[in-house]
Amino acid sequence: MGLQVITANRLRDGVTIWFAGAAGWGERFADAAVYDDAALEAALAASAPGDEARALLDLRAIPVTEGPDGLKPAQYREEIRARGPSVRADLPAGRWRESGTALPPLPSADHEAPAAGIYRYDEYDRAFLRQRAAEFGDQVARRLSGELSEDEFKPLRLMNGLYHQLHAYMLRVAIPYGVLSSVQLRQLAYVARHFDRGYGHFTTRQNIQFNWQTLEDAPRAMAVLAEAGLHAIQTSGNCIRNVTTDEYAGAAADERVDPRLYAEIMRQWSTDHPEFTYLPRKFKIAITGAAHDRAAVRVHDVGIEAYPGADGAPRFRVFAGGGLGRTPVVAVMLREDLPQAELLRYLEAVLRVYNTLGRRDNIYKARIKITIREMKPAHFIQMVEDEYAALPAGYCVLEDELVEAIRARFPVPTFTRADGGALALALGEDAEFAAWVARNTQAHRHPAYVSVAIALKKPGAIPGDASAAEMELVAELADRYAGGEIRVSHVQNLVLAHVAKDDVKPLYDALKAGGLAVANLGLVSDLIACPGMDYCALATARSIPVAQRVAERLAAREAAIGTLHMNISGCINACGHHHVGHIGLLGVDRNGEEVYQITLGGAADEQAAIGQIIGPAVPTAKVPEAVEALVDAYMATREPGERFIDTYRRVGAKPFKEAVYAAD
Amino acid sequence: MLLIDKNAHEIPDEAGEALRLTPADNPQELAGQLAKVTRVEIEFPKFRDGRGFSQARLLRERLGFGGDIRAVGHFIPDQFRFLRDCGFTSFALPEGRTAAQFAAVLGGRQSGQLLRRHLERAREA
Repeated sequence: MGLQVITANRLRDGVTIWFAGAAGWGERFADAAVYDDAALEAALAASAPGDEARALLDLRAIPVTEGPDGLKPAQYREEIRARGPSVRADLPAGRWRESGTALPPLPSADHEAPAAGIYRYDEYDRAFLRQRAAEFGDQVARRLSGELSEDEFKPLRLMNGLYHQLHAYMLRVAIPYGVLSSVQLRQLAYVARHFDRGYGHFTTRQNIQFNWQTLEDAPRAMAVLAEAGLHAIQTSGNCIRNVTTDEYAGAAADERVDPRLYAEIMRQWSTDHPEFTYLPRKFKIAITGAAHDRAAVRVHDVGIEAYPGADGAPRFRVFAGGGLGRTPVVAVMLREDLPQAELLRYLEAVLRVYNTLGRRDNIYKARIKITIREMKPAHFIQMVEDEYAALPAGYCVLEDELVEAIRARFPVPTFTRADGGALALALGEDAEFAAWVARNTQAHRHPAYVSVAIALKKPGAIPGDASAAEMELVAELADRYAGGEIRVSHVQNLVLAHVAKDDVKPLYDALKAGGLAVANLGLVSDLIACPGMDYCALATARSIPVAQRVAERLAAREAAIGTLHMNISGCINACGHHHVGHIGLLGVDRNGEEVYQITLGGAADEQAAIGQIIGPAVPTAKVPEAVEALVDAYMATREPGERFIDTYRRVGAKPFKEAVYAAD
Repeated sequence: MLLIDKNAHEIPDEAGEALRLTPADNPQELAGQLAKVTRVEIEFPKFRDGRGFSQARLLRERLGFGGDIRAVGHFIPDQFRFLRDCGFTSFALPEGRTAAQFAAVLGGRQSGQLLRRHLERAREA
């Protein structure tokens, strides 16, 4: 086997540690003692004598090889683990903060959430979240004392959004259906600044992840979040996850039913659901109420389209069994026109059939999409219908009274501003501003307002990352120009949903001063990327550097290229949703080398489709030129008004394949 | 074997006819036998296997079983509240667990789904 070192992560703070022999454990790879095969067994025993292994995670030996600067881990993943993320040279691995330091007052302490369109949490909700944080604190204490085994603790930790990743614990905080108040965003910035390393990562499920948490302090961070009505409940684990929706909900000109009301109802229904918290696998629900599906409902475990029925009352089209991952599937429709009162009853029936029949013998076959495929959709639908018909009358009926009680907690913003013409004037005077408006604003249902997207995708930056200072700036601008309300989009950007047209120019100026006025919404550099092997324990390739190189290569041309959705995943689990990118890239490990599979033709909207692989995987260094070749082929083939995806659908993959593989 | 009731109080084991369900069993196929038993035992081979929660609800809500439903096998104190909410009434504790560990998780916060709690609040108001 050759030479090896012994490594683990500390249970209490997650930090990567290396066994230094007689000197104990150290935090730097350089500390590690090196063992040959003959000495390894005794060294492993000496590294964690008695019950000391209890305080360690993943104790193991890893091979090392001779590099230009001495010994280094043989596997690239371990090298990143030893050094820190390759994309953040400013964040080396190792202990990064001391626990128990005194902190400044919370942003929520002197701000009531004034935001107009946001579900109003009250003292009861905050008390519930405080209790949940305290309960998790108790679970952490029981884990640290050894009362709970890691096997027993892990599902509890995950149900509170806490993962253990490559370098540290990662906390995924729920942003229910992507809606935040400015106070909440400031509270997130506070956690980033004081409990993490100064930034957060917005995800495709409209959540935020903090990459550098400790186990011992996570309950404290959760208690801070609770004060602003934020939490991490059910953001992981085999339960019903955060319900997602259209980031333009309540604002979009093409909206038919406001989905936030039903997303909130489903959030409350699924929170602490006694029957459906130990499902075969995770369960994701998305809902849209607009003509154009911006919530990707057809690639969720359950997807719902709300629309007004003939009598004007909301009806629901229910899909199930969609998903990405290693088995990408477009969902099947279960019900065409479910009435409002039946929404939760029907979901109960779907979940009960899944909980009972979903596979538990193989984690890769446990999602509902596999249940439906193996049973055949018609049989699955029949079982759901039978279960639904047999539910006790009156059970879980979504009564009007309840809908109205929840609706009442969503104050309706008043749109009192008139269009004074400032926007039209500025458009004529500033071409750069006009280009940003054309790309990053969206029609609002009120003619004097628009919705504004703030792209967190400056070409060359890490997609979806925002610093504490950037979060605070957006919170400030939301207060000034958007009623104190912010949305997180599933393409990892932020949105100010209600901005008066007269305020768009001053908003733009302030964003520009803060480096946040990037005019790239829906363009190549607005790509979706998962954190990849720089952070993630599952990833097989680094998605972020590929995203950065592709964006840098094409940014200068992207306005001419037009709408093109690019998605990059660093492993087969597909968190970057590569299957539904117009161009999708999947990083895989080929004998220790990172290579990328290219798929074309994916879409997540009402024309949902799974992209098709066009040929052999491309070495990482050649990905930018391969993408450029695809773009060149499109530019040469497109007809006026055609987007990349339209041209692909018209001509098929052939010219694109030829362009990428021409030189081979 | 340590046996507790839904308030985490230790109870003696009572004699009586019992049926036992493993996770793959469909409670509805036992409908004819329920009248003859005073207890149904639902087995959790691993605490992560949540099929027993649905089985208990089906027994209570669909089949109207009014006897004792007992959790047996591997489950953890943190599931106690959910087990009770689904209709379990007695609990054969896994090896090494104490009644106090189960009692401890009952304090602190209310049971039930958030939606139901809000609904009850609205009705009280």
